[in-house]
Amino acid sequence: MLASVRPHAWDLPLFVHVLGAMILFGGTLAVAAFGWASWHRPQRELLARATFRTLLAVVLPAWIVMRIGAQWTQSKEDISGTPGWIGAGMAVSDAGLVLLLVAVGLAYWAARLRGAGWQPRAVAVLSSLYLVALAVAWWVMSTKP
Amino acid sequence: MDTYDWLLALHVSGAFLLVGGSVFAGVCNFLAQRTDRPSEIALFFGLVRVSLPLIGVGSLATLILGLWLVHHVDYSWGEFWIWGAILLWLVMGALGGMGGRVQTRARGLAERLAAEGDAPSAELTALARDRRANVSNYGAGLAALLILVLMIWKPGA
Repeated sequence: MLASVRPHAWDLPLFVHVLGAMILFGGTLAVAAFGWASWHRPQRELLARATFRTLLAVVLPAWIVMRIGAQWTQSKEDISGTPGWIGAGMAVSDAGLVLLLVAVGLAYWAARLRGAGWQPRAVAVLSSLYLVALAVAWWVMSTKP
Repeated sequence: MDTYDWLLALHVSGAFLLVGGSVFAGVCNFLAQRTDRPSEIALFFGLVRVSLPLIGVGSLATLILGLWLVHHVDYSWGEFWIWGAILLWLVMGALGGMGGRVQTRARGLAERLAAEGDAPSAELTALARDRRANVSNYGAGLAALLILVLMIWKPGA
């Protein structure tokens, strides 16, 4: 029962990490929803702009907060080596940044094209994949197998 | 994985659905207030509906599994972080419901105006930016944030 014996020095870093991760999940959810919605709605230009702005204003800042919190928490914990649950979290986090940056580029491209073309769908697919990866990461980080 | 691990992982998953769904709804609400065109307001308030199952399932999962965890771990019900979180959960639900009712009315009006020519309307703009609804929604978000603070710091434990 780690939560009941966790030293208080870990609380603030863990709070920063979890809050960042939750906002990252919600922002990515919004991006995915805008991408899928643009498939069959006439307001493609509006949704393309909303997708790009949400990525810049919510998703990327949340990723930074989540990642700073992760590193800060790890620095407080005296864990030898890299257990599987930390490795899995790091992998989702760091590979996710690459995926998010590709999504930002595609979302910018989609906004320039006023939502026409294949780019909004590509952003929807990438963000949906990232949502699944985030769910796997929070499950693994919670259960610490 | 033992019972505690399952309960904790599902409780945390509920919290992710609740807060993530709320962030999504907040983004849609913010975007709906940045436009005057009824079809665009209807679009963003319509997308808020996608977040409602996540918020609903997340709310119930955090409460039910949280209560189960308290019973399983033998925490005392008198500890501040436990009863404070339950109280905040009730406040969050009440405030979220109040804000949501105004959004539902705004969506209905926006859909009607969009079908009647999509001309901007002062009544719709005022309803979409309703101050009381905004205070309720941000209050619900603040309550969720405070629950997270209680869950991590566990004051009184």
